[in-house]
Amino acid sequence: MALLETRMLSKSFGGLRAIQQLEMDVEEGSIHGLIGPNGSGKSTFFNLVTGVYKTDPGSVVRFAGEDITNFEAHEIGRRGVARTFQLLRLFSEMTVLQNLLVGYHTHTKYAAAAPIFRPRSVVRADQEASESMFELLSIIGLAEFADMPAGELSGGQRRLLSLGRAMAMRPKLLMLDEPAAGLSPTNVDVLMGIVLDLKKRYGLTLLIVEHILKVVMDTCDRVTVLDHGQKIGEGAPHEVKDDHAVVEAYLGKEMSDEEVRAAFAKAAR
Amino acid sequence: MNLVVTLQGVGGFFGRMERTHPLLPWLLAIVALLPLPLILSGLFNDYYVYLANRICIFIMLSVGLNIVKGFCGQVTVGHVGLYAIGAVTAAILSTNFGFSFWMTLPAAIFIAGLAGVVVGVPSFRLEGAYLALATLGLGESVRIMISVTPYLGSSTGLGGIPAPSAFGFTFDNFTRYYYLVMPIALVGIYLSFAILRSATGRAFQAIREDTIAAAAAGINVRKYKLLAFVISAMYAGCAGAMFAHMRPGYIHHNNFTIIEMVTLLLMIVLGGIGHVWGGVIGAIIVTIIYDQTKDFYFYQPLLFGSSMVLLVIFMPQGIGGLIDRYIVTQRFIDARREAGDGTS
Repeated sequence: MALLETRMLSKSFGGLRAIQQLEMDVEEGSIHGLIGPNGSGKSTFFNLVTGVYKTDPGSVVRFAGEDITNFEAHEIGRRGVARTFQLLRLFSEMTVLQNLLVGYHTHTKYAAAAPIFRPRSVVRADQEASESMFELLSIIGLAEFADMPAGELSGGQRRLLSLGRAMAMRPKLLMLDEPAAGLSPTNVDVLMGIVLDLKKRYGLTLLIVEHILKVVMDTCDRVTVLDHGQKIGEGAPHEVKDDHAVVEAYLGKEMSDEEVRAAFAKAAR
Repeated sequence: MNLVVTLQGVGGFFGRMERTHPLLPWLLAIVALLPLPLILSGLFNDYYVYLANRICIFIMLSVGLNIVKGFCGQVTVGHVGLYAIGAVTAAILSTNFGFSFWMTLPAAIFIAGLAGVVVGVPSFRLEGAYLALATLGLGESVRIMISVTPYLGSSTGLGGIPAPSAFGFTFDNFTRYYYLVMPIALVGIYLSFAILRSATGRAFQAIREDTIAAAAAGINVRKYKLLAFVISAMYAGCAGAMFAHMRPGYIHHNNFTIIEMVTLLLMIVLGGIGHVWGGVIGAIIVTIIYDQTKDFYFYQPLLFGSSMVLLVIFMPQGIGGLIDRYIVTQRFIDARREAGDGTS
């Protein structure tokens, strides 16, 4: 069954059609990769699904069978869609633990006014939340930094924290926007190891945007390729890799001898 | 160094008491502050007790402003307007309708809270300086409303506001009034801490740090922005009622000018934006400076404006931030020493 479905998903910014009638299914329990050259609409797709942007009329986004098109971002988050951001967007002045607790917000069991007198129920709920967040911190390997402001972490640790914050929401669908960008090859392996561990542990469905093709090819069950906001290929990683249109989108069209000669002549002039 | 040790000692002491019972340190603080008016009037004179009352009122204002500006990151310059609404509500209800302080206080808090909704709604669409301008407009229009409406006081102001009384005891001089406003101010500080450390406080901070990420984490950004505005407006309304009922029981629209707003902003900038104790320390220091420079009335705006600019440039974190940094640095040095690779 498809956990996330989009039908006729479109988004224009003025004259620029960032996403055009995109139809995509993310199967429950799968790892779905989303690739494409810069500006092909991957991040726009994320922002449309998570409610950061409003879609154009006619678009439909369904999550777990429910129509969530143009819901407010927090409504979508509440339903079990968590995401990370390309630029991380951590709460830098808050501590590592607090960052996770914000992610856990929707699971806090007391009303907004209850903490005023700190009855035992609130103290207990806060303790439980902290404990389960510490469990998550030890999975992502940041337990010893719990009380450090998030802004003081290293680049790799920040990426892990943004993953942890999304996981603190106890999501069904985890959407990762370039999780491995800027990491060294060793750290990429560590990170993907943690991601796969989390998936197994919590029965996640993953949707990954990634530029490092090795990550996509090694981990994904299914890959969708975008170019200029359109789907130009879909299938298992090895199928996509050999797809003519995909290669063309990434590397450009193969030129005939005539064309090469013409290009050289033009350059020499 | 010594300051850090003292602060850590005090912090640890409070922490231990709090673990015994969360309200224990606050009750002790009330007890410890009880003899203050006697000391002040004994050493100086009654005027300083009046100053202590004023400080308590400004603590309510600055702690409240810190919730919306410090925790939630929404720049508002209309806080004095809400303070005015609280004061006028209390004044009219008590003089025209004969309500007692115990009725006018909740009424002022409620009405100011409603006004807080109006001030908060622009924050859905505006940010930073634009939001500041919108709220400034709202705050000033409240003052102008008051200054032109005879029913609300206009140029003569509203007088004859009765002193509060309870069980035959009337809070009709500054020493007595202190025993009313000091506990209220402490309750205000306590509530502010309770909010900060709860899920609600974390939601406020998340919105301050990154609105989009907060929404993605399932936080209803509009709801919490509005909640922050309403809570801080309720603080202002409470402060307004406390001000209206203080001797001589007279309010005038000149009490709610933009100068007061700058003074208030200076308090939380000096104390440290986002630090609850910072707001308290700022309120104490700035109220005293304001009072001591009253002879140079015309130069006060210049003094306060320029000190604000200097603070923002040279000490943007305020006193609270400096203390925080001291403690963090000290903790780091201690940890290094324990690890055994310290250089000293």
